[in-house]
Amino acid sequence: MNRRFLIALLLLWSLGPLLWQVYTSFCSDQALIQPFVSNDHRWTLIHYQNVLNANPPFWRYLINSLIVGATSTFLCLVLALPAAYALNRIPRQLSVLTRLALVGAALFPYVLLFLALLELARALNLGNQLLALSLPYAALSQPLAILLLNSAFNDLPPELEDAAKLEGLSLFQRFRWILIPLISPATASTAILVFLFSWNEYPIALTWISDSNKLTLPVAMARIAGSSIYSVPYGAYAAATVLGSIPLVLLVLIFQKPIVSGLTSGAVKG
Amino acid sequence: MTVFLLLPSLLFLLVVFVGPLFRYAWLSFHADSVMTGLIAIPNGGANWLRLVQDQRYWQDLGQTLRFAGVSVGLELFLALIIALLLDQRWRGRDLVRTLALIPWALPTTVMALGWRWIFNTPYGPIDYFTNLVGIGSLNILGDPNLTWMATVWADVWKTTPFAALILLAGLQTIPVDLYEAVRLEGGNPLICLRRITLPLLRPYILLALLFRLAQAFGVFDLIQVLTGGGPASSTESVALYAYWNALRFLDFGYSSTIIMASFLLISVICLIAWIGLQILIPTHSKSRGVIKS
Amino acid sequence: MTLQIQNLGRSVGQHWIVRHLNLHVEDGECVALVGPSGCGKSSTLRLIAGLDPVSEGEIILNEANVTHSSAAKRAVGMVFQSYALLPHLSVFANLELGLRVRGVRPFDRQQRIQAMLELVQLQDRANVLPAELSGGQRQRVALARALLRDPDVYLLDEPMSNLDAQLREELRPELRRLVLDRQKPVIHVTHDQHEAMAIADRIAVLHSGKIQQVATPEDLYHHPETLFIAKFIGRPQINCLRPKNGVICAVRPESLFFAKEGLPCKITAREWLGSSQLLYLDSPEGFLRLSCSTAVDIPEAPHVSWDVSDEHHFALESGHRLP
Repeated sequence: MNRRFLIALLLLWSLGPLLWQVYTSFCSDQALIQPFVSNDHRWTLIHYQNVLNANPPFWRYLINSLIVGATSTFLCLVLALPAAYALNRIPRQLSVLTRLALVGAALFPYVLLFLALLELARALNLGNQLLALSLPYAALSQPLAILLLNSAFNDLPPELEDAAKLEGLSLFQRFRWILIPLISPATASTAILVFLFSWNEYPIALTWISDSNKLTLPVAMARIAGSSIYSVPYGAYAAATVLGSIPLVLLVLIFQKPIVSGLTSGAVKG
Repeated sequence: MTVFLLLPSLLFLLVVFVGPLFRYAWLSFHADSVMTGLIAIPNGGANWLRLVQDQRYWQDLGQTLRFAGVSVGLELFLALIIALLLDQRWRGRDLVRTLALIPWALPTTVMALGWRWIFNTPYGPIDYFTNLVGIGSLNILGDPNLTWMATVWADVWKTTPFAALILLAGLQTIPVDLYEAVRLEGGNPLICLRRITLPLLRPYILLALLFRLAQAFGVFDLIQVLTGGGPASSTESVALYAYWNALRFLDFGYSSTIIMASFLLISVICLIAWIGLQILIPTHSKSRGVIKS
Repeated sequence: MTLQIQNLGRSVGQHWIVRHLNLHVEDGECVALVGPSGCGKSSTLRLIAGLDPVSEGEIILNEANVTHSSAAKRAVGMVFQSYALLPHLSVFANLELGLRVRGVRPFDRQQRIQAMLELVQLQDRANVLPAELSGGQRQRVALARALLRDPDVYLLDEPMSNLDAQLREELRPELRRLVLDRQKPVIHVTHDQHEAMAIADRIAVLHSGKIQQVATPEDLYHHPETLFIAKFIGRPQINCLRPKNGVICAVRPESLFFAKEGLPCKITAREWLGSSQLLYLDSPEGFLRLSCSTAVDIPEAPHVSWDVSDEHHFALESGHRLP
């Protein structure tokens, strides 16, 4: 059937390169040089050993990325939730303008900001600190987060909050008991998208952190690659690629619903 | 009261988005480099003049535009096909959609190494296949005429799922009745595509287009890791050039100028793309009815 | 514990949503606020509740001027048209939230909610989510929540409009029992004038943001101040004859009868309604409705007439009643 063929093609195209890395990571150096020749000494785990026992060990980078991802996501939500709520309560024209500005900011290639942000890091002594990275990350994800959360708040029936006000709930109490619980799907989507962004971010992590113990995953991988273009240990690279990809593949598989719904509603509202 | 709710977020946004633009604009009119002992000294439009005469910049600009144009064009085309494929309901659709999303979720630098190996001559699988087919060994990563295509390919691989998802979201807002009505009038799939799907999908295509165009113009991660800008600066992008000026040559003034120019260019390009799309896919057809005889 | 509204008004930009509202509601009195859609009924309620800011005028509750205090501080109990129950909390939790926030101790909370659930006959639905309740049950939970608040005034915003007609009839006496027994002022907003007449001690008719008349149902029916009220109150609708000399004469359908002399007319339709019947007549004075018992014979060449004392006169321009 025509469709089956297309689906197979799609899967091959999407997963092929990654699967090739998996294959490569188990190949001995000898087998790499003669890839399609049958060989007794083909399979090995030595690449993984090298990567995991390197200095610093590979899992260090994963931990670093996790720390940065978690703190960025938390900070982003703390900033964006109140802002998303307040966006509905300012005069009409102002909120339309703000929304437009946020869409513009969301489209903007943040790479170009690296220089100014680097100056900021130097001025405020934020260099080489993992937690400090959460500041620019939280800021850069604000536009998307505010837009997603704001549309979720909009979908709530306004009478719920009115009833809560009459019951005597303060703003904070309304947030805690009503607003935040009721938009939890949108919050989950936003959180995972922000986490993904922080985990995958490269230019700012590159310029802010140079201490090899504190590198996040993307920067560490690039550093491994940058050592030399020639005589490159591709086996080890493949192992590193696979190890670096596993957390993300798991994340995508586990959180597929929030991810898809987050991107979809972002598109509809944008 | 509500102002206090907005304030922290607003502060972060201003510092990160607005502040830099002013800073770049200011810095671009100053000399700030190793030569000046890293102190900013006003030098009028000297940086800008230098930019206009900088061969390397114009080469990079051309390369970046080529990269962005081809990449985004290819992406949208493939994304539309994928979106149409995923729009229907079939068994396993959700799983396929998730698996197709994986390329987008991986950090660029992580897969860039993988691409280096895949495109490697003579050990990579691409080389094997080109030899198999009879083209012979193409030194893809070493040939200035071919390397940019490898970067386009890697970029398309990573970002198409994202564009596909946006278009899919749009497809799902189109009521099925429209297609059925056209089919009753005797229309074929191609007409459906032209008269219903594309016009109604236009805002989503626009979103994907603008977003991807802006991002592609600022390409950095991929180029730095996959090719390092080479061979012979043939894949060097504008962002990479700005980065080197700042961190390798320590010329912050000039780097700011490059960035500022790039920002202005992106804005113009997005505007042109927007207008272009309105012209390419009109939503108000002057002909009566959907089917033109 | 009376409620007094003096010259209340709210504007958004240049447009006045409601203006010059004056109303006085006593303890244990139920005043119905009626009017067509968009006339400002719900807006008025929101002003009294403190959910919208007041542009001019005063609200005095229990001798205290609450015009500018927040909703939380006003001790107002409100039942919303959609009931506004929190969908993610059980019935018990919905009722508990307000008490918890006001500092009532867990044991007391338990007691009071239990008692309230028994009062509204929902004891066995305490741990159920609102989505699993019927419309009538949800209304009772919303009511229970307002009652738990033990407020100084009860505001009911079309609490029956989401229920079918039969349920409405059944719940009306229960609503009366639960709310009016508390001896606090009650304002009941509804677009159903029949419901208003059945449940209210007095009715305030709202039109385009202004109160046209506040009176008992009988007064409103027999002495409407404006043409609008005359047409709004009473089903079937009052008959309006062709205007003469800037005066519109209106007569209720039940005031018309067949006579030997009077307006000649032709019967165009007839609705048999059980104990009574409604006849649609075409006459030189226009289109008329006549309501009478089914026992009455309809003559061959009908002439219709009425007592002059049953006439209501209104000025054509202003719609106001003429003496």
